[in-house]
Amino acid sequence: MAQTRLGRAENRAGWAFVMPALVLVGIFMIYPILWSLWMSLQTGRGMTTSFGGLANIQRLFADPIFLTALSNTMIFLAIQVPIMIMLALVFAVMLNDPKTKFRGLFRTAIFLPAVTSLVAYSILFKSIFSNDGLATTIVTFFGGPEISWLGEPFWAKVVIILAITWRWTGYNMIFYLAALQNIDRSIYEAARIDGVPARAQFFRITIPMLKPVILFTTIISTIGTLQLFDEVQNITQGGPSNATLTLSQYIFNLTFRFMPSYGYAATVSYVIVVLVAVLSVIQFWIARDRK
Amino acid sequence: MTTAFRRTLIASTALGLVAGAAAAQELTVWAWDPNFNGAAMEAAAAAYQEMGNPDFTLDYQEFAREEIEQKLQTQLAAGTMDGLPDIVLIEDYSAQKFLLSFPGAFEPLTDVIDYSGFADYKVALASVDGETYAMPFDSGVTGLFYRSDLIEEAGYTAEDMQDLTWDEFIEIGEAVTEATGTPMISLDINDPGLFVVMLQSTGSWFFNEDGSLNIEGNPDFRAAMADYQEILQSDMWTQVNSWADYQASLAGDVASTVSGVWITGTIKAADMSGQWAVAPIPRVAEAENGTNYSNLGGSSWYVLASSDDKELAFDFLTSVWGSDVEFYNQILVDQGAVGSLLASREGDAYQEADAYFGGQEVWQDFSSWLGQVPAVDYGIFTYEVRSAIASNIPAIADGADLDEAISSIAAEAAVLTQ
Repeated sequence: MAQTRLGRAENRAGWAFVMPALVLVGIFMIYPILWSLWMSLQTGRGMTTSFGGLANIQRLFADPIFLTALSNTMIFLAIQVPIMIMLALVFAVMLNDPKTKFRGLFRTAIFLPAVTSLVAYSILFKSIFSNDGLATTIVTFFGGPEISWLGEPFWAKVVIILAITWRWTGYNMIFYLAALQNIDRSIYEAARIDGVPARAQFFRITIPMLKPVILFTTIISTIGTLQLFDEVQNITQGGPSNATLTLSQYIFNLTFRFMPSYGYAATVSYVIVVLVAVLSVIQFWIARDRK
Repeated sequence: MTTAFRRTLIASTALGLVAGAAAAQELTVWAWDPNFNGAAMEAAAAAYQEMGNPDFTLDYQEFAREEIEQKLQTQLAAGTMDGLPDIVLIEDYSAQKFLLSFPGAFEPLTDVIDYSGFADYKVALASVDGETYAMPFDSGVTGLFYRSDLIEEAGYTAEDMQDLTWDEFIEIGEAVTEATGTPMISLDINDPGLFVVMLQSTGSWFFNEDGSLNIEGNPDFRAAMADYQEILQSDMWTQVNSWADYQASLAGDVASTVSGVWITGTIKAADMSGQWAVAPIPRVAEAENGTNYSNLGGSSWYVLASSDDKELAFDFLTSVWGSDVEFYNQILVDQGAVGSLLASREGDAYQEADAYFGGQEVWQDFSSWLGQVPAVDYGIFTYEVRSAIASNIPAIADGADLDEAISSIAAEAAVLTQ
């Protein structure tokens, strides 16, 4: 199609408008991404590095700490995300019911954790679960055993899962609440007339109607959990015995705590990128429309 | 730029701009303990002002030790020197790591300081390829700090606490814990500091002379780990989850602790005069060269190559930290800082009895123990190996087979020290 002169001028103006944004994205996004890819091929200590090819990838598979961090991250993901998504859904449906009293109050209370600072709430959780903290006091008051929450690998994982669930359930709930408002009331009305019980309404109407939002929140939560850092750094510092060490924290340690190993740290960060991509594709595939 | 030219430049700036002259007399310093090295640095600044430098000011900035290392590491890697201080305190365990990872980032002081006046091992820790980069500061000579009142309550005397083995210490510890209800020690299971102390007391370390790992098949490592496992499996300790919790536990929650002499400041902050005493640490009896002396921590002052006023930094460091015995006496009494300047050992303060420790001549004790600390080369990977040990502590505490645990530590350490 032959372009008119006006069309070309508009084209130029268009490019002129997007250019500043493109340049910034180029400098601050694309260039660092390419540079980190180059870095992940370097080996060496501190600033004295040399090209190592795929040596860092080989190192990954022989690295027990990386494998621990990977499996911890996967455990957090596999246990925490489903619990949180289910909780958020249940809360959203309950609080969407006009018959529920004090809806506004509950909505605010459940969403409020999502506005607190990550570090501030982590420190709070650390003090709640410290040896003479609130959790121990309550458990022993009801005759339970004295648990060293942050000192035992199993309980430390439980504390981290509790903490992120507390922090993020309300955030996901808000998405469901918004989506629930968009479901046509007449669908439920028709279901009621046909005598569909409430449980079936939830599984046969609500969940299918919310599918795109559920997919969205699952992917967002998956990415968030794969990048988990603030909570473990502040509550357990990855301990005890690396039981709560996450991939992001391992990257941090490799870069800032240990003899800096920037190349290897970049390689580990690409593991997260690959995991996010693979898991997102799987989730899209599971949630695809079967026609 | 010659010094003379630089002086002229500063002078001419001062003529034109009063604020310029003031800024030229200021040094920024990073350190981490307000009761200890921070306070000592401020005392040094006061001493320097009295030496005829009334315009000198010190901008002391306090960060946690880990934060200082992380900030340094980030900025040196990024190559931006803005916001870095003139002088920074670095712990001995990390010194070689910084010097080797960031060549050129720190100013060599070999021609500035007469190192013959300092303890040899401190100088060695700050040296790379024949150049020395630091003003040596404190020693981390260790002691067994214990509550004399609680020990007595359990039926022991100061004599019973001298030159113990770890087995004997555990026996006393369990008796004291049972008799008084106060745990003998507090341990952070994420921090294997106590094990590190035990290992150095045997004269062995994580690495061989060539830098390769010396963990598996190292009899001293195994002997120290066996004692450490016994401690972890005893009933005499309470768990703390952070350094702050550990420090807080010293104010009445535990009957003793094994630490570097620099913990004196924290112990004295508790206001329990007369209730504390110090003895040499227990020794690893199974180790061939086991001693009752070791080291934990210790640090030195480094001048950054990016500093605007190195001449001032050099002059400040050499005139106070390099020769002022009076000043060393003061920080010894006030902060419990056992410096590395050999001449300072002759000062009066080292001879005095300390009422806080029931009239014991603690400084005399510490300086005589200092001379017996087995010297080891910390190498560049201390914190990596510590992390590998920490990750195996829960298994060791649960009674894991010692050789398996040591193999697992060695395997993790091998990966981290690549």
